[in-house]
Amino acid sequence: MKKNAVTIIVAAVLLVIFVLLLFTFQVRQSEVVVKSTFLKPTDTITNAGLYVKWPWPVQSINRFDQRVQTFADIPSETLTADNTMLVVNVFVGWKISDAKEFLPKFKGGSTADAQRYLENMLRSAKAAVIGKHDLSDFVNSDPAQLKFDAIEKEIKTSVDGELAKNNYGISIEFLGIKKLGLPQNVTQSVFDRMKAERTKLISKAQYEGEAEATKIKSSAERQAADLIANAQADATRIEGQGQAEAAKTLAVFQQNPELEVFQLELAALKASVNQKTTMFFDETKPPFDIFRKLSQPSPETK
Amino acid sequence: MERSTQKNGTVNFAVTLLIFLAALAVRIYSGSSATWGAWVFLGLGWLVASISRFQMRLEENERLERLEMDELARSRGTSLFDAKDSGSFPARNAREQFEKYFVPGFTILLMLLEAAGAAGLWYGTSKNPTGFNESSSTVTLSLFAIFALLLFLFGRFSVTMARLENNRLLRPAASFLLASAYVCALTAIAIAGVEARHLMADFWVARVLCVLLGLMAVETLLTLLLEIYRPRIKGKVGRPLYESRIVGLLAQPESLFTTAAQTLDYQFGFKVSETWFFQACKKNLPVLILVQLAVLLLSTTVYFVDAGEQAVLEHYGKPAGVYGPGAHFKLPWPADKIFRFRTEQIQSFDVGYTPDAQSESARIILWTVGHGKEDNFLVGNRVPTMDANASTNDSATTKPMGLITVSIPVQFQITNITDWVYNNSQPDDLLQSLATREVVLYLAGSDLNDILSHGRLDAATTLRDRIQNAADERQLGAKIVFVGLQDIHPPTDNEVAATYEKVVGAEETKLAKILTAESDAIRTNAVADSGAFTLTNVADANRVRLVTSKYAEAALFTNQLPAFAAAPAVYRQRMFLQNFAEATKNVRKYVLLATNTQDILIFDLEEKVREDLGNLNITNSP
Repeated sequence: MKKNAVTIIVAAVLLVIFVLLLFTFQVRQSEVVVKSTFLKPTDTITNAGLYVKWPWPVQSINRFDQRVQTFADIPSETLTADNTMLVVNVFVGWKISDAKEFLPKFKGGSTADAQRYLENMLRSAKAAVIGKHDLSDFVNSDPAQLKFDAIEKEIKTSVDGELAKNNYGISIEFLGIKKLGLPQNVTQSVFDRMKAERTKLISKAQYEGEAEATKIKSSAERQAADLIANAQADATRIEGQGQAEAAKTLAVFQQNPELEVFQLELAALKASVNQKTTMFFDETKPPFDIFRKLSQPSPETK
Repeated sequence: MERSTQKNGTVNFAVTLLIFLAALAVRIYSGSSATWGAWVFLGLGWLVASISRFQMRLEENERLERLEMDELARSRGTSLFDAKDSGSFPARNAREQFEKYFVPGFTILLMLLEAAGAAGLWYGTSKNPTGFNESSSTVTLSLFAIFALLLFLFGRFSVTMARLENNRLLRPAASFLLASAYVCALTAIAIAGVEARHLMADFWVARVLCVLLGLMAVETLLTLLLEIYRPRIKGKVGRPLYESRIVGLLAQPESLFTTAAQTLDYQFGFKVSETWFFQACKKNLPVLILVQLAVLLLSTTVYFVDAGEQAVLEHYGKPAGVYGPGAHFKLPWPADKIFRFRTEQIQSFDVGYTPDAQSESARIILWTVGHGKEDNFLVGNRVPTMDANASTNDSATTKPMGLITVSIPVQFQITNITDWVYNNSQPDDLLQSLATREVVLYLAGSDLNDILSHGRLDAATTLRDRIQNAADERQLGAKIVFVGLQDIHPPTDNEVAATYEKVVGAEETKLAKILTAESDAIRTNAVADSGAFTLTNVADANRVRLVTSKYAEAALFTNQLPAFAAAPAVYRQRMFLQNFAEATKNVRKYVLLATNTQDILIFDLEEKVREDLGNLNITNSP
């Protein structure tokens, strides 16, 4: 009996849970729910709370995220108005604005399908808008010349227009450029150009250095030459002054020119002979005439 | 053994084979991962059915052989055939050899197939989790529902037969048949889930089957190992090695206690299932389960929020409050649910690069070495010049862009958890996208050389403000704490960064050349200065010497005048002789004292290495 009671309690609890699961459902704050009766969407619930429904297959529900959902498209190569290839990647914030319209448009209300359709529209709009702008609207060292906001707005307007043609139950909340790049081949060329720019700077530095060094050396040598020339001139002038000063003593020598000339001759003689000089004397020249004098009889002996 | 049992074994063999082949076709047609798992399971079932059928035939042969021998012995009334040599009972020998060698070998093969099936299915589903061809879902669902039904009918019949006749050899295949029915039903539910837009249902059921196959492989391995140590009791027939208890439990969950009891009894060699504890558990199982469920439900009424976290409480889906760290109570699931978020904790993501293990462990960061996977960003590019006077009219001005790599860590905190949770579906991804967009925009409007040098600090501040504004505009409820431009450099590809370094090297070389030239100039000027000074000094000294000497000579001359006046000849001669002696002191002198003036004297005055008189050749010519 006791065993039966426990079994009945367990069965009752399970039954209650099962019934609750069949007849009730919750809607979260972040969700929107479409309630369908015999598969026909009949009600949209956007407020969070606990709701009741008839069990499947009479009524069924489809839940959707009513928050802003974000996705980024695949980076794609696009030509700008001035024929530059750009690889652009855009992210989009979108939300389900009308769940009842959204549900039948995409199989089972698949958000993945919705994003796929959105991506197709986005890629088309992106290519069209980028093709109207020059590269300088995307990349410019003057930020005032950039037109990012305008380009994003144009793409969004274009996608909004497509969505408005068929009421998809979707609205685009925002859109932004997430990646801006170049195709691989162009990237390689830009690398080469950047290297060439730097190589130019390297050459500039090398040859400017050499030129500057040569200038400095040349200038220094010229200054040195100037200094030496001035010094030589000064030296000549100083020596001239000395000679002029020395010339004042000539009056003294003029008192007996014969003696002075004799002394000058003697000085010249001293200055003109050196160790390598070979001199020949005969017996008539003093002091060697002494030999002759000695060989002759003295006047006393005569 | 009854003939009907053998027939039943044959039917099991045929049914599993047919459904195995059909499941293979459906698997190829649909590409469903769950059908793949079911197909592997069916294949294993067919193998078990095959071997059990073969073993049944061997036992039947043995039984017939024994009957024949008994009949022969009775008719002859002798004990001629009592001999127990092996040659007398070929059917029994065949069965014994089969059980001794073939069954363990087959069980090892079965284990390997189970493990290979689990690994292959896991790898296949990881590689292609959504490979299901959705257009084939209706056909797949229908066929697997039929498979499930057929297998259930045949399986249920076989299980009942096995229990009634207590046939140990029929039991493994019967369990596999019934378990296969449930596996096929589960697969059909997975397909239905995919049809109901739960796209991952197929994947998760495949994963469940992976786990099941893995468990079966482990069980078979353990059975093989335990078989070595199992006590052998004479007369007790062992259960087939290839029989899976997991499959049996799956096929007949109500037999959980029976299976457990049999397992324990079989393994320990005595009746564990007759102990009071085992009996108490068996008797109160519903109560135990109920208590367990109640405890489980009660455990959902208390929750703990960790330090640095906040929790959003939802009451039937409606936000009912935000709670900080500590213990809190709530209504049990599913009435109240909580969602935890790390709000105080600084969270971060990186823009422009994806770190790898090598870059994380780098001890020095260089421009020329990549730091993980780096992205190239487009950046404005004015003509690069190194001085203000350089010409800008060159080809470089025609290209307004360059490429740069940046490593920008962005750190943030969740400041408003309600905004963070309810405004955006993937707030983390959105914040990262917004930050990346701001970085792309900022760099596209900057100059390459500016951003590499003095623009870095401004860039960090500006980027933080811009990312914060973008996050506020999107009501993310996040505060940007830090944006760092920790690494900005030209791309490492194609040695671009290396060329930038060489420019710095060239600048240094230029400076070195200028400094060397200036050094030389200083030396040249100093030498010239000293030379000039020497020249003027020497000149001045000469002047002084000249003047002084002349004055001295004049003074001497004045003093000589009286002497000369007193004895001119003597004074003159004296001076001559004094000066002559002094002047010719070291001079080679030849004094000719010849009286014969007709003789011709010839002197060889050619310079000799050693000059002395001995070297002098004098020839006396007549």
